[in-house]
Amino acid sequence: ANMEGQKAKRSVHNLGKSQYGTRLESDMALYRPTVAPVLTSELGVASPNERAPADAYCIVVIVLGKQCFLVLRQQQFNVQALVAVGERASKQMVKFAANINKESIVDVEAVVKKVEQTIESCSQQDVELHIERIFVVSQAEPRLPLQLEDCVRPEGEGDEDGRATVNQDTRLDNRVIDLRTTTSQAIFRLQSGVCQLFRDTLTNKGFVEIQTPKIISAASEGGANVFTVSYFKTSAYLAQSPQLYKQMCICADFDKVFCVGPVFRAEDSNTHRHLTEFVGLDIELAFNYHYHEVIESITDTMVQIFKGLRDKFQTEIQTVGKQYPSEPFKFLEPTLRLEYSEGVAMLREAGVEMGDEEDLSTPNEKLLGRLVKEKYDTDFYVLDKYPLAVRPFYTMPDPNDKKYSNSYDMFMRGEEILSGAQRIHDAQLLTERAMHHNIDLEKIKSYIDSFRYGAPPHGGGGIGLERVCMLYLGLHNVRQTSMFPRDPKRLTP
Amino acid sequence: MSLKELSSLEKALGLKKPNKYSTQGDRKVPVLQSINGPALVGLVTIATHLVQEAKQPELLGGSAEHKAVVQQWLEYRVTKVDGCHKEDIKTILKDLNSYLEDKVYLAGNQFTLADTLMYYGIHHVIVDLAVQEKEKYMNMTRWFDHVQHYPGVRHHLPPVVVLRNRVYTSGHH
Repeated sequence: ANMEGQKAKRSVHNLGKSQYGTRLESDMALYRPTVAPVLTSELGVASPNERAPADAYCIVVIVLGKQCFLVLRQQQFNVQALVAVGERASKQMVKFAANINKESIVDVEAVVKKVEQTIESCSQQDVELHIERIFVVSQAEPRLPLQLEDCVRPEGEGDEDGRATVNQDTRLDNRVIDLRTTTSQAIFRLQSGVCQLFRDTLTNKGFVEIQTPKIISAASEGGANVFTVSYFKTSAYLAQSPQLYKQMCICADFDKVFCVGPVFRAEDSNTHRHLTEFVGLDIELAFNYHYHEVIESITDTMVQIFKGLRDKFQTEIQTVGKQYPSEPFKFLEPTLRLEYSEGVAMLREAGVEMGDEEDLSTPNEKLLGRLVKEKYDTDFYVLDKYPLAVRPFYTMPDPNDKKYSNSYDMFMRGEEILSGAQRIHDAQLLTERAMHHNIDLEKIKSYIDSFRYGAPPHGGGGIGLERVCMLYLGLHNVRQTSMFPRDPKRLTP
Repeated sequence: MSLKELSSLEKALGLKKPNKYSTQGDRKVPVLQSINGPALVGLVTIATHLVQEAKQPELLGGSAEHKAVVQQWLEYRVTKVDGCHKEDIKTILKDLNSYLEDKVYLAGNQFTLADTLMYYGIHHVIVDLAVQEKEKYMNMTRWFDHVQHYPGVRHHLPPVVVLRNRVYTSGHH
């Protein structure tokens, strides 16, 4: 090690001529590569003979006799590389390469060579790099808290050989490394795509993006599941949804709005689909004649998102599918819409006993999802006209049947992703409904006041980004689609 | 419970005159007092007697082997199914499911008393099963649906809904 150190020191002065070593910050000013950097994803048979990949992670080091094989990775792409004793490399250089720790960042100058046999284990399968110069830019510690190949192993595979998969808590504790896996890279690129498609679709429909406050004076959805923060000499709450502010924007003549932002729910639920903080994608719009215009706008947005993912993110979907196989996501155009009473009838036909105005339990929601899939062959549908009794106070009752309401839920793969409704835009009716629900009118005074000065009929809904991604990909835990998830037991990283 | 069963069984067998039963012991074992002879004690004993009274001996099996299989399942019903604990239910359903994979009825290709009594005995378990569980034990559910629709069998028990199409794909967890 000492020898190496000395060599590295000497090489600072004639960096241009040295072939290997650990690059220090002080060297960076002197170093200029001889050719422009190339991305690993671009390496292929068409690459000209001499290229230098940009910094890549070195993920595997295998020594075979006088050769050292490495696998270099950048995001979802990796390529095989080789340092062999000969014209290009000395024995010491091969030894140096063999001692590079996994996950170190290296800078490499190499000749791109076509290979006869396809390299199945890498994403770039027709070429390998014959390294001429290799530098370690950032050395990883020799003992990693988890092994990447264990992280991407599908459940059940390798059980006989005793090869492990990594449990979720370990991954989340070492998220920086876990996020480097091909699966994680694919999931979060797809998630970024969902946000982008949401914004683009709504902007094209003439919606305005708004930002709403998250520190608020009164709990918006009810007192139970809200986080309290100290606010100078008093207390405030973290917003459970942008509901009130979306509506106030409609009353402020913005007509169609959406917002993307954090939502905080202090629900002590430790389930596969609950987080205490998640990203809400919310929509609110005024309509002309009937609240179904709102439903159509929302379902059309969802369909555009599904189509965009299907058409532009196939690589990511396939990558995730390698570790977590699932059925491709199916949807209908126009979106399937069933009435609540029809859903209840389907459940009763399958032997479930429930009342007309009873809310759907989670097992019943899931069963209904299966029945709908079997009958209509779709993973996405809307359930319209929920019973009034099970909806929040600001939901507009059905004018034709007071047992029901102009509200709806939307489901993906049998799990709820959106709860929405036409909102009451009349201050007097709103007051009556609030009193009926035993809500303290003082606490929602400014909310009710927004409807006193001319308010158009409007409605909307909100989806959770993490849940939508989880269900689209057919994953089973929302923590897989949240980069740094928050739940009742987890506050770090 | 056994008394209701026996009365349904009488109707199923087409016996015109219902008998009067009593019970004995904590476990309420049914007893049939006969006018000329010893009392008959036990569900299987009484049921067998009723079958003979109704002159339908084929319900107890044809060949000697067949008869033995019928007796085996009657015994299973009374010893394993009756009074079983929650943990045992899964085992019973698995047993029945794998046994019925290649048989139409419990005793093979012929409807027998074993099917009727097993149906009566296991109904309270099946009626509470979720759709997914019923699909998991596919053969058992198929047999159950068949027996509950067999003319004259159901009587005192509510029908259990069995869907015609599979709703859960094999890959579902």
